[in-house]
Amino acid sequence: MSWVNAIIQGILLGGLYALFACGLSLMFGVMKVVNLAHGDLAVVAAYIGLGVIAITHVPAVWAFVIVVPVFAVIGYVLQRTLLQAALDRGVLTTLLVTFGLSVVIENGLQQFFSANSHSINIGSLVSDSFSIGSQITIAYLDLVILVVAVVVLLGLQYFLSASASGRLIRAVADDPEAAQISGVSYRHVFGIAAAIAFGTVALAGLAFGMYSQFDPTIGTDQLLLFAFEAVVIGGLGSLWGTLAGGILLGVAQQIGAQIGAQYELLAGQLFFLAVLVLRPQGITSRKETA
Amino acid sequence: MDRQEAQSRMRLDQPFSRRTLLRGTGAGALALGAGGVLAACGSGLKGSGPSGSTGTITIGFITPLTGSLAGFASGDKFVLSQIRQSPVYKNGIKIGGKTYKIAINVQDSQSDPTRAGQVAQQLILNDKVDLILTTSAPETTNPVAVACEKFGTPCVSTVVPWESWYGGLGGNPVKPTTKFEYCTTFFFGLEQFLGTFEPMWNRIHTNKVVACMYPNDPDGNAFRFGFEPLIKGSGYTVVDGGAYQDGTTDYTSMIADFKSHHCEVYSNAPLPPDFNTFWKQASQQGFKPKIATVAKVLLFPSDTVALGPLVVNIATDSWWGPYMPNHSSLTGQSAAELATAYQQKTGNQWVQSLGSSYSLFEVAKEALAAVSDPHDKKEVASALQTVNYTGMCGPLNFAAGPAPGVAIMAPVGVQWKKGTGKYPFEMKVVDNSLNKKVPIEAPLEPTNA
Repeated sequence: MSWVNAIIQGILLGGLYALFACGLSLMFGVMKVVNLAHGDLAVVAAYIGLGVIAITHVPAVWAFVIVVPVFAVIGYVLQRTLLQAALDRGVLTTLLVTFGLSVVIENGLQQFFSANSHSINIGSLVSDSFSIGSQITIAYLDLVILVVAVVVLLGLQYFLSASASGRLIRAVADDPEAAQISGVSYRHVFGIAAAIAFGTVALAGLAFGMYSQFDPTIGTDQLLLFAFEAVVIGGLGSLWGTLAGGILLGVAQQIGAQIGAQYELLAGQLFFLAVLVLRPQGITSRKETA
Repeated sequence: MDRQEAQSRMRLDQPFSRRTLLRGTGAGALALGAGGVLAACGSGLKGSGPSGSTGTITIGFITPLTGSLAGFASGDKFVLSQIRQSPVYKNGIKIGGKTYKIAINVQDSQSDPTRAGQVAQQLILNDKVDLILTTSAPETTNPVAVACEKFGTPCVSTVVPWESWYGGLGGNPVKPTTKFEYCTTFFFGLEQFLGTFEPMWNRIHTNKVVACMYPNDPDGNAFRFGFEPLIKGSGYTVVDGGAYQDGTTDYTSMIADFKSHHCEVYSNAPLPPDFNTFWKQASQQGFKPKIATVAKVLLFPSDTVALGPLVVNIATDSWWGPYMPNHSSLTGQSAAELATAYQQKTGNQWVQSLGSSYSLFEVAKEALAAVSDPHDKKEVASALQTVNYTGMCGPLNFAAGPAPGVAIMAPVGVQWKKGTGKYPFEMKVVDNSLNKKVPIEAPLEPTNA
């Protein structure tokens, strides 16, 4: 029974990882941008959410309504300016630029908000849970995060494969120049994709702010690695895969933890390495897309 | 543990980040380039006696003003302003018929052990300081102490369990016979942790089963190997949750383990974000220990705000607060007055590191007043070993501690209570077993009734 519990908790934890990995996966899939500032941007979203709640005194849920659109706009602007300028100079330049962005964000946050830790207060939801049987307890917060992750990732997957705008994004992702010749402004489409990606980053940042606590350095120290692993396990550029990757990473960690607390993170990393060695294109990707 | 092991552990403790990596490699390159030069002049420098004949004494102060440990240092700028206004630091100190001015050179360790070691070296070699003071967790104090011992500069540390400091310098805390020539420290250790926590456990009616959440880092291992035997020795049963890695995001299996063993007492030594995650999940999963005594977290008000109402009635240790019956040896100001002045000047709630940082400068003054030449590093270092005075942190005797050069403070047990005034939560004294002079402010209540 305790193993069943471990797997259930792993799936719940995986929801958080998948939500984190979504924006990273999208940015890479469409623009081929490996966003090293991903974790820091999520922390920025959490800080903005905290500010919105402190100033307006609205319930925490409303922070999503404000922060996610704000972040989408930031994403669009950043893509059209900084990231596009870097992309024009080559894909490797984007690595350097996002790396620099990460350093700037981290130190900026430290300057303005100090190193103090914060958490987004969601009242009693933080400790509410329900039980199945005597051994399995599921926290509402974790369940909500998992549901949001599934809805967002599957929704985006559907949007990309079925809608006209989604097809446009995929066309641009496949070959920006060819799309340009056909009359599509690929820069604008990249901007839209970045806006969506940043919206999901904001979701993930706020969710993490409720789940644990955050400070200016946690974005790179903790969050970025798990997001990367989820993306790689699932297969680069596939949103389905990212959802699966996040959940598998969570389950692997929980199985490790069930054996002994010292193996929790190790099990996750070993699983990640195993995937890299045995199936480098990821769990869900076909070989040629890798 | 031997010296190398201690140092490598210290390094491993730091969460791996780009900045650490960059600084690490940068420092490595620097060391490679300058190694020969340093080795050449190292022997000449060490214990070189009078390092200058100027009429100014320079004190280096290394503290984590930024980074993950910045909460510890949040009051340090205010403390410095208070110190600089005190007569001795403002007008100078009279030694052997000559009045010396005192200059304080403040350096930020950025909560990074590599950086801490670098600034210590800079202060010693470039700025030619006469004395170094350092505070706030082994990540800052230990590399600084190692540099001071290596280059022969007197050093005082605080806010680091003495065992961790002693081990970091290469001593064996179990048989503390080694005397370090230049380094001294004042704080407390595992024995005082137990002396603070156990009376609180005893006063709450429990089944005497302790859930222990100790990570795989220097502090966690010190508690695992040093504190667990002490707990067992006083008749409690230990359930060790396992040596988890810092930065773990899910603790449900550890919590399930604690629940299945029906633990009613909870002890830990984690990083703040990890405790936040753990405590939220414990409350979701229905693990509700009757008494939780935490170490290393919830020492400062900023941590409590992040956790919200779940923090009420969690107990921890307090080495300083406005309730301490202590007075400054520099100005006569009381502990309560210092805390009030801090709150008025900054608008922030008082932090217990105000007192420890303040006392660093008192100890420095005590040692300087006892020498004939303040620039003679050997003389200052040996004066530090015998400092015995009463000040902002109460009586400190460096000659009578558990190890040479270690002075022990007397902490009290405190619980976080709902604030009655401006601040959401307040630290209230609930147990004074180790320091009877501190008045009890509030009743000890179960963390979870």
